[in-house]
Amino acid sequence: MSGLEAPEELLVETVTTVNGRVVRANVPARLHLADFLRLHLGLTGTHIGCEQGACGMCTVIVDGEAVKSCLMLACQVDGRDVRTVESLAEEDELNTLQQAFKEEHALQCGFCSPGFLMTATALAHQNCRPGPDRIREEIAGVLCRCTGYDNVVAAIERWFLENPQGSPADPLPAGHRGHCDPGLT
Amino acid sequence: MTILEEPSIGAGRGDTGGPRRIIGTSQLRKEDDRLLRGDGRFTDDVEPARVLYMAVARCPYPHARVAHVDTSAAAALAGVEHVLTPTDVRRCTEPLTVLRPVPGAPRLPYYALAQDVATHEGQPVVSVVANSRHVAEDALELLDITYEPLPHVVDVLAALEPDAPVLHPSVLDSNLLAANSDGSGDPDSRFAQADVVVEGRFRINRVTALPMETRGVVAEWRPGARELTVHCSSQVPHLIRKELAEILRLGESEIRAVASDVGGGFGLKLGVFPEDVLACLHSIALRRPVKWSEDRGEHFRGSTHARESVHDYRIAADATGRILAMTNVYATDIGGWNSPFGSAQLSSVVFNGPYKVDDGYTERRVTLTNKTPIGAYRGYGQPEVNFAYERLMDQLARRLNLDPVELRARNMVTSQDMPWRNPTGAVYDSGDYERCLRMAADAVDWAGHRARGRAPRADGRLVGIGFSSFVERTGYASARFLARRGSMFGAHESVTLRANRSGGIDVYTGVSTMGQSGETAFAQVVADVFGTDYDAVRVHAGDTATSPLNTGAFASRTMIAASGALRASAEQLAAKTRRIAAWRLDASVDDVEIIGSAVRVRADHSRAVPLATVYTTAITGQGMPPEEEPGLEATAHFEPSDAAYSFGTAAAQVAVDPQTGEFDIERFVMVHDGGTIVNPTVVDGQVRGGLAQGFGAALAEELRYDADSGQLVNGSMMDYFVPTAADLPRVELRHTTVPSPVTPFGVRGVGEVGTIPPGAAVANAVCDALADFGVELSALPITPEAVWDALAGQTASRGTELTPTPSGLPDGGIKY
Repeated sequence: MSGLEAPEELLVETVTTVNGRVVRANVPARLHLADFLRLHLGLTGTHIGCEQGACGMCTVIVDGEAVKSCLMLACQVDGRDVRTVESLAEEDELNTLQQAFKEEHALQCGFCSPGFLMTATALAHQNCRPGPDRIREEIAGVLCRCTGYDNVVAAIERWFLENPQGSPADPLPAGHRGHCDPGLT
Repeated sequence: MTILEEPSIGAGRGDTGGPRRIIGTSQLRKEDDRLLRGDGRFTDDVEPARVLYMAVARCPYPHARVAHVDTSAAAALAGVEHVLTPTDVRRCTEPLTVLRPVPGAPRLPYYALAQDVATHEGQPVVSVVANSRHVAEDALELLDITYEPLPHVVDVLAALEPDAPVLHPSVLDSNLLAANSDGSGDPDSRFAQADVVVEGRFRINRVTALPMETRGVVAEWRPGARELTVHCSSQVPHLIRKELAEILRLGESEIRAVASDVGGGFGLKLGVFPEDVLACLHSIALRRPVKWSEDRGEHFRGSTHARESVHDYRIAADATGRILAMTNVYATDIGGWNSPFGSAQLSSVVFNGPYKVDDGYTERRVTLTNKTPIGAYRGYGQPEVNFAYERLMDQLARRLNLDPVELRARNMVTSQDMPWRNPTGAVYDSGDYERCLRMAADAVDWAGHRARGRAPRADGRLVGIGFSSFVERTGYASARFLARRGSMFGAHESVTLRANRSGGIDVYTGVSTMGQSGETAFAQVVADVFGTDYDAVRVHAGDTATSPLNTGAFASRTMIAASGALRASAEQLAAKTRRIAAWRLDASVDDVEIIGSAVRVRADHSRAVPLATVYTTAITGQGMPPEEEPGLEATAHFEPSDAAYSFGTAAAQVAVDPQTGEFDIERFVMVHDGGTIVNPTVVDGQVRGGLAQGFGAALAEELRYDADSGQLVNGSMMDYFVPTAADLPRVELRHTTVPSPVTPFGVRGVGEVGTIPPGAAVANAVCDALADFGVELSALPITPEAVWDALAGQTASRGTELTPTPSGLPDGGIKY
């Protein structure tokens, strides 16, 4: 191929921590975080559903907060801590949240499950015990076409009841803990 | 969930099983661990070495001539490897084939890239492959395509008018693709004799299945091997293989289609779409893997939509409310092309719902419009007619001053009637329809509601209760039934079972995994029939290279057909396992049993041999009984004797503000019979999930086109709202269990039923609340605005009648 030159791809040096590992990369400035995780790091558990921040399939945790990784550029996580669904299981065992999803039949096709798991995990970092109505509001940013949500809510509610301190196996650095809005429990 | 009767699982046990019962238990799912760990393998997760990425330029107009295509600037962009134009596609391929053609319709010339004229917004025109998706999309910006917009039509009734622009003039004189009629008796005479006739025009909204995973394809051609491997997000990998072979002029043996994890299908992912063909063509040209992942904007325009139709329904009754005749003449939108499955036929097959109608007539007019093609979607014709006939049942009750529950009960097909043949020839197999209705009425305290009358609450809101009784055809009647309609698939399922040296059984199926829990249910049936542990069975799904040729996962048909194949193959495998074990144990075959991981002598449990040993014996052929062939593998095919009909009744309680039309669904009760249940938790999940989609289509979802521009105005997830966790009413679910006599174990399909009743139940509840205002809703979705319009008397005018045309329109000569 010859002729038109491709516009020079602007690269941005980025150092981030992904699932506890330090990652250094020169990433294209226009690459969003979900594509970076999937294409550059092979973390395909983070799914892409709309690339408009509407469906929640790509939800990951950045510095303790659930974010839609299609709305964040890869270079924006420079210096930050990123967690994906691949970080949840411990060795060969599902963690308690994943196990609650399995036992409550909270997934069917499973495409949306990483989004719900990371949203619930981030909620646990806020040190609260949400009831079903609060859970419904919190997870409303993740869509599911299979389950009708009842079992997703049941799994998250059960997990909070059985693990009142949130996810004990995945404590965040102290500075990353958010606060629970007391008006919405 | 409530199981009212123990499932009676009569057939198939033989003497192979132990005392354990695995069918009917809520086993944890086989699929879950990988999906919960982010280790599923969806199509976009497949990333072969040296893969390239495809992007597609699409027609931005509803109807346009593609006058000129210049790809030179795009092709010259660094990183671009290949460009396909309409001319290339015309030279290298056949038009896209159709799996479920409309009886009597000509084949529409529709190629993977628009030839001369594009008939809908989003139709592919040029495709580009580059070393990244970014560069491929940059290249699309450099394409020079000249369109000459043509007159368009987006309204389904306007498209049938004589002055409408004709979409496919080379094969049709109008936009009527075909008309199909069916019926029995003499409905005209019965209408003439009737004491009362209720009728209405019912408009069903255009919606879309919207699986969370969009479509996608990864194609890899190895020219020396003449092998095309196609990973795709599909419900029907074996049918993908068949269609690609036809379109690409290859032999089926040269194609392997793989659908591993599918992120939701719901009918949308049935068959080959243009992009599948394009990725293959690029890969063949480049000798490199080519990947395309549909973005959501493409999905809204280039996949399929569903349901849009206009039904003119009539019911004739005597003064006691007994139905004398029912007719449904309707126009169903198919969009700009006949997609692989096209628009629904079931709106005709079950147009009478659960009611005993001897004199009936139904006529479907399949209509082309300049919109995204219509395809199959969960429920596929049944939610549409349920809304219409159940709305009319309530209007009939009001006209005759009858209790709508009693009116329904009086007209339902009874268990004594069945098997009963409806006017279109559908045979309702068994069931107790009235019991479900009564259970739903009791659950919502219908009697108390009637007694209380219609006084408003303190806040001024009015309470209403509405019902929807339904049947759902699950599975297909037979291969013969399908052949009469020209459908390109069978009514059977096929599986292969193969023992392995670790002591496990591998199950190979062409049914891909898309959330329906097939891996779980298949393993349950095999473990139950064979007698081994559930954990010892592993299901390998969706790969045409390993699985026997089958039909696929749609029409709530998988378990209905596959359970027979699973049972037969497990019985074959068990019989041989016991013969080998008996010989090794020096016992009679009749005296040994398979229990868990071993075969043992019934009378002396100390005499046992591990299954792993028996399997190894067969696989190596070492130590086999004389005259026994080596190997331990079984393939079985099964076609059920008929379709099974699920049934039930839903009841909704709403509170409506008569000033604003705003309403809340305060209760929703669903009583459903899915026959014998293989996994109660999974069935519960299927019904709840279907209901969620049913509520979306009933209350909020609608794809709208601007009549002037012909543009889809809400084709994004920012503008098209499917229900979130915070939007749905609480569902109270109850089941009855009447085993079907036409299927193995008595199963009925359960995958689609939830989509059927929400629209009618909620509309009937709103109209019950507003009965004093004379509100009769006749269109979906039911929004507060629609209710407010109805209160203000601003319902749409009826327009031209869709009168029955027994002889005027072509019906293709094919009866339903």
